[in-house]
Amino acid sequence: MAVHRTCDGIKRRDLLKVGAVGATGLTLQNFLRWSEAGQTSHRRAEAAIFINLTGGPSHMDTFDLKPNSPDEYRGEFSPIATNVPGIEISEHLPKLAQCLDKFTILRGVTHSLGAHALGQQYVNTGSRPLPSLEYPGYGSVVAKELGGPAHLPPFVAIPNTNQKAGFLGVKYAPLRTGSTPKPGQSFGVRGIALSRGLTQGEVERRSHLLQDLDRTFHGYEADNQLLDGLDRFGQQAHAIISSKRAREAFDVSRESPEFASMFGATPFGQSCLLARRLVEAGVVLVQVTWTRIDGAMNNGTWDTHKQNATSLKEHLMPRLDRAYSALLEDLSQRGLLDETLVVWTGEFGRTPRINGDAGRDHWPHTQSILLGGAGISGGTVYGATDRHAAFPVADPVPPPDLGQTILHAVGVPEDRELQDPQGRPIPASYGSVNGQLLA
Amino acid sequence: MRIERTSTQPHFSGLSALLIALMAAVPAMAQEADEPAAPIDARFAAADVEETPAFRRHVVPLFGKLGCNGRACHGSFQGQGGFRLSLFGYDFAMDHESLTSGDDPRADLEFPEDSLMLMKPTLAIPHEGGRRMEADGWEYRVLLRWIQDGAKGVGKQHPNLERLEVTPDELVFAAAGETAQLQAVAVWSDGTREDVTPLCRFQTNNEQVADVSPDGLITAGQPGDTHVVAFYDAGVVAIPVLRPVSDSFGPNYPAVPAPTPIDELVVEKLRKLGVVQSETCTDAEFLRRASLDITGTLPTATEVEQFLEDSTSDKRQQKIDELLERPSHVAWWTTRLCDITGNSDDGLVNVTPIRGKASQDWYDWIYRRVEQNVPYDELVEGIVLATGREDGQSYLEYTTQMSDLYSPDSNASYSDRNTMPHFWARRNVRQPADKALSFAYTFLGIRIQCAQCHKHPFDQWTQDDYKQFTNFFTRVGFGRNPASKNEYAALIDELGMKGKRGNDLRRQLIPLLKENKVVPFDEVYVTPPRKNKKAAERGKRQNKQTAKNRRGGRPTPATGRLLGGAEVALNDYDDPRVALMEWLRDEQNPFFARAFVNRVWAAYFNVGIVEPPDDLSLANPPSNQRLLDHLTKEFIAHGFDMKWLHREIANSRTYQLSWQPNETNRLDERNFSHAVPRRLPAEVAYDVLQQATASDEQAAAMQKTVAGRAIAVAGAGRRNRRGPGYAMLIFGKSDRANNCDCDRSNESSLLQTIFLRNDQETLAMIDRKNDGWLAQLLGELQDEKQARKQARERAAKAGDVAADRKRLEKLQTNLSRLQKAGEDKKVAQVQKRIAQLRKRVDRLTEQSRKRQPEIEAAPEPTQPAVVALNSAELVRQAYLRTLSRPPQAEELARAKQHIEDAEATTDGVRDLLWALMNTKEFIVNH
Repeated sequence: MAVHRTCDGIKRRDLLKVGAVGATGLTLQNFLRWSEAGQTSHRRAEAAIFINLTGGPSHMDTFDLKPNSPDEYRGEFSPIATNVPGIEISEHLPKLAQCLDKFTILRGVTHSLGAHALGQQYVNTGSRPLPSLEYPGYGSVVAKELGGPAHLPPFVAIPNTNQKAGFLGVKYAPLRTGSTPKPGQSFGVRGIALSRGLTQGEVERRSHLLQDLDRTFHGYEADNQLLDGLDRFGQQAHAIISSKRAREAFDVSRESPEFASMFGATPFGQSCLLARRLVEAGVVLVQVTWTRIDGAMNNGTWDTHKQNATSLKEHLMPRLDRAYSALLEDLSQRGLLDETLVVWTGEFGRTPRINGDAGRDHWPHTQSILLGGAGISGGTVYGATDRHAAFPVADPVPPPDLGQTILHAVGVPEDRELQDPQGRPIPASYGSVNGQLLA
Repeated sequence: MRIERTSTQPHFSGLSALLIALMAAVPAMAQEADEPAAPIDARFAAADVEETPAFRRHVVPLFGKLGCNGRACHGSFQGQGGFRLSLFGYDFAMDHESLTSGDDPRADLEFPEDSLMLMKPTLAIPHEGGRRMEADGWEYRVLLRWIQDGAKGVGKQHPNLERLEVTPDELVFAAAGETAQLQAVAVWSDGTREDVTPLCRFQTNNEQVADVSPDGLITAGQPGDTHVVAFYDAGVVAIPVLRPVSDSFGPNYPAVPAPTPIDELVVEKLRKLGVVQSETCTDAEFLRRASLDITGTLPTATEVEQFLEDSTSDKRQQKIDELLERPSHVAWWTTRLCDITGNSDDGLVNVTPIRGKASQDWYDWIYRRVEQNVPYDELVEGIVLATGREDGQSYLEYTTQMSDLYSPDSNASYSDRNTMPHFWARRNVRQPADKALSFAYTFLGIRIQCAQCHKHPFDQWTQDDYKQFTNFFTRVGFGRNPASKNEYAALIDELGMKGKRGNDLRRQLIPLLKENKVVPFDEVYVTPPRKNKKAAERGKRQNKQTAKNRRGGRPTPATGRLLGGAEVALNDYDDPRVALMEWLRDEQNPFFARAFVNRVWAAYFNVGIVEPPDDLSLANPPSNQRLLDHLTKEFIAHGFDMKWLHREIANSRTYQLSWQPNETNRLDERNFSHAVPRRLPAEVAYDVLQQATASDEQAAAMQKTVAGRAIAVAGAGRRNRRGPGYAMLIFGKSDRANNCDCDRSNESSLLQTIFLRNDQETLAMIDRKNDGWLAQLLGELQDEKQARKQARERAAKAGDVAADRKRLEKLQTNLSRLQKAGEDKKVAQVQKRIAQLRKRVDRLTEQSRKRQPEIEAAPEPTQPAVVALNSAELVRQAYLRTLSRPPQAEELARAKQHIEDAEATTDGVRDLLWALMNTKEFIVNH
């Protein structure tokens, strides 16, 4: 076994890599026994759903309205009351207004990176991007720290993600679904679903053939990590591929059509539904990235440089409102919300002043982020911005603090150190836990 | 227990210790002779000790020993409890200040016994770090005496540590539980010597083979070999420790063949260990292994058969030579050199106006040099000394040349250039400190990054070493050369782009480039030295913009120091990198050739002689020092000839050993006693999937050209859009981002297995229409059907003959009737007709007789084409194209049965191909 030295003088052995996907010590035997006993949908205590609205949603048209600011700032939307007295959000989020008790609005999240890619990296890692070191996204950190059951990948991205495994290495890379589920249609993920036309019987027949032919190294596996690992991965892969439960977790078509329609028949809505199914099955972190709306203005993203209000009220906010409120309700009714952290974010806010194209441009100095579920005290607003929603005036939250708080909420200890491939110790987060956000 | 060089330095004790301690109290260490000063624990054993300990020699190392300056304690960058020490204690000034300054200094000069630094670690007052020492111990007295003497720091004239001598210098144990004590003597530049054993940090590289106590007592464990390392000040000494694995060691070692110098040196080490090498591998194993290692490509089925049939005695050697001449060898080793040099699309964003082109330039430039087998040092020189401009070009000449090169009509290739500067243009090496780090990684195979923030914990490097080395890179820049500001502005004006910058400018330049216009290119350049502040000030006035942007007009460093080498006056050089290149080429350079030799070795043996291969450091010694020395020396003597190195390694018996272990070498992975099965690298894994599933024709073509191969993809990283992205990601292709060989991962993972078993991409490869093997078989089945159809047609014709015969019989009856009737005219007609018919019948009969066997062989088409293709032959072909060997009898029987049981032959073959591609044997090189 290779000895890996680290900068901090601690030697670490490479442990058997078998647990690369599930570091929990959940053995195949256990998995098989449990799955036989029908317990694989047993979920762990910590999980998270991370919703990423690419483009940068306008904070002052959604969760931080300034009805009294001058016309060139305020926009055309009016605030409405929510189910928490005293808190108002945009009129175009009526369903979310009715479940505001389930999340906290952070109005003063602030940084200074106004380019999409950099802002994305910052908000998705909690560490300011460096050219010389790629920080891992939350999903990869959580995958490494918390693991997950053997028959499921710990970090799933629907359909894709800006979060990278970075210096943690490919082991912790997300499983990307690549596409989004469509209502009523069965859905599977790369490599996990049985390929078209293959029956369970055929899979078994092939597997038997493989088993009978894969004999060259027989008897030598114990002395070689690689051979041993390949054997175990083979068994696990077979378990997953032929695991009805793994397949079913991905297949949103198993939900009743009425129920699925609560999330909206949109790619984003069905992605949120899939996220809930996966978390329920045991995936530790699911990231849902906004799927752009074909043919809509501003490329169908939240990057509303033109016709901001029209884009928001006609396309973006109705889809968001429906899907996100359904997700919170669904988690709540299943009793999962207390154990699942739900994060809603974009890379930055948008300029308080409306531009010549009736749009808003990039504005990293302030944005609104929502935190809900696991350990978060819902029904509150944290932080405040000035009269133009331009800069935080109270309780600003820099991304590192947000990051540390997110990690804390899912159970990663505050002083956790990771290592880059050379063994340099790098803190999982450079921020501090914000205790006021916690319940 | 046998000690190679016996130590005669027992610990002093009792009275003599006291005497020595008193002697040692005489200032400035009087021991000029060989006899070192007694260890400090003896000298400070008595309560009334009068010696004054020294801060650097004693106090700081003692902090290390007590664990005070570790990362979890006061060595943490935030300190601990308001008190911070430098990590691993080499920042003497900072440590001294932390102890003696502030409102409440840790060292209390007025009341030394009340010092926090004494009361806390003895738990006289609470200490989060717990009890670190006893109040009546020597450690306490060392610290107390230091404070009593005024807690002095390190003077300017303090001698340096010359070396650390550790004895014994090698240990061979015979049984578990045996012990041996190390002794460490520090030798300072003023000639003083001191036994510093109690002040050393000790560490074992493998605690299962040898454990070491904090006092330097080694205890033998399992058989095997490792090193125990002693650390003191900047001294790092690794002592080999081994315990033979079997009784067959030394004189008892069996006679084994060692036909090459490599084999001799490998066996020399194995003899000590009592490890016997495995037998040599089979021809089939050799061919597969060498093809994968040298060319990243499987042998074709035909090639395997030919090689197995070949009875020439030196056929392996011939095959190695042949493989080294293939384009796939050039492509695969270019890819490996791109890994080491860091060719990543992520690092090269905006280095040239056209996306992805810079990484292709990089690849092409190296490819040509590997193809021509340019000596390694020359190849490196073309990178190390590269600037954008070549041969005294002006900016306009440079950018004209680049624009031509990038124009769509260009016939020229970037590889025509003598130098390849992109290495210096990467955005992850914009800072001089990052350049130093990347240079050290790529060309020296060492990891100095730890020394950026603190003394390197496993090597000699200090922060000052790092800083001095960084000085070589301060004047290397990328972007717009400030000296050519006006030319640049003029060009921008001419293009009508005034005022445009950044991405906006770049976007507009691309179409111009396509119109064959000359557009400005950024460049790697070296600025002249800025010698002193005055000149810098002048520069600042003259060129405010430049001064603001470029390092604030501070003078550039006048000197730099080569790692472990000489100081260099940088101002004497137009390009300080010239001094670096001279140093790399120096035969005495301890890293340059060694690092490359070791990396090439690692590619053939799964592990380097130094492992990890990019960590040449004192605490990480080679598993076989003499082997690495030999190869390094010979590589230099052969003019840095890369092919010589490949050939030398591949032709050794050691490389051609079987993977099947014996009782003695079962657990060995570091001493090259058998081949170690290893997962195929990402690109190779993907390519062998393509090969195994390819039609015979396509498989043969893949050996002649590398087009479309994963081993020939230029760039890397997430911006790289070429090649099979998902598979490269999960199989761990190097993203070339972190200056680490570990950017490439050869670990196995669950997602890989799922990819091989069930991914659409893999399954689609098996079933691909145009050039797949299954499609080819289907085609052959179609051909057979066609043949059968023709046969039926012929059979139909044969039926005609029968009719003709009947007609003939009829005519003959007619004829005799007509002859009897005497109808002569009619008789003549009928006779003519009969002659025609007979001729035809004869011809057809002859034809059908020739075709007879074929007709009989074609079965009635009642069943769909099942047994048409010989199933045994199909199994054989499937084995040859995946595992590069014929099937064994049992395998053949099992696979044949599967095919014959299948509803259709192709279904059975598909299953078999799938199964073989999922065997461990397929995805590992063995």
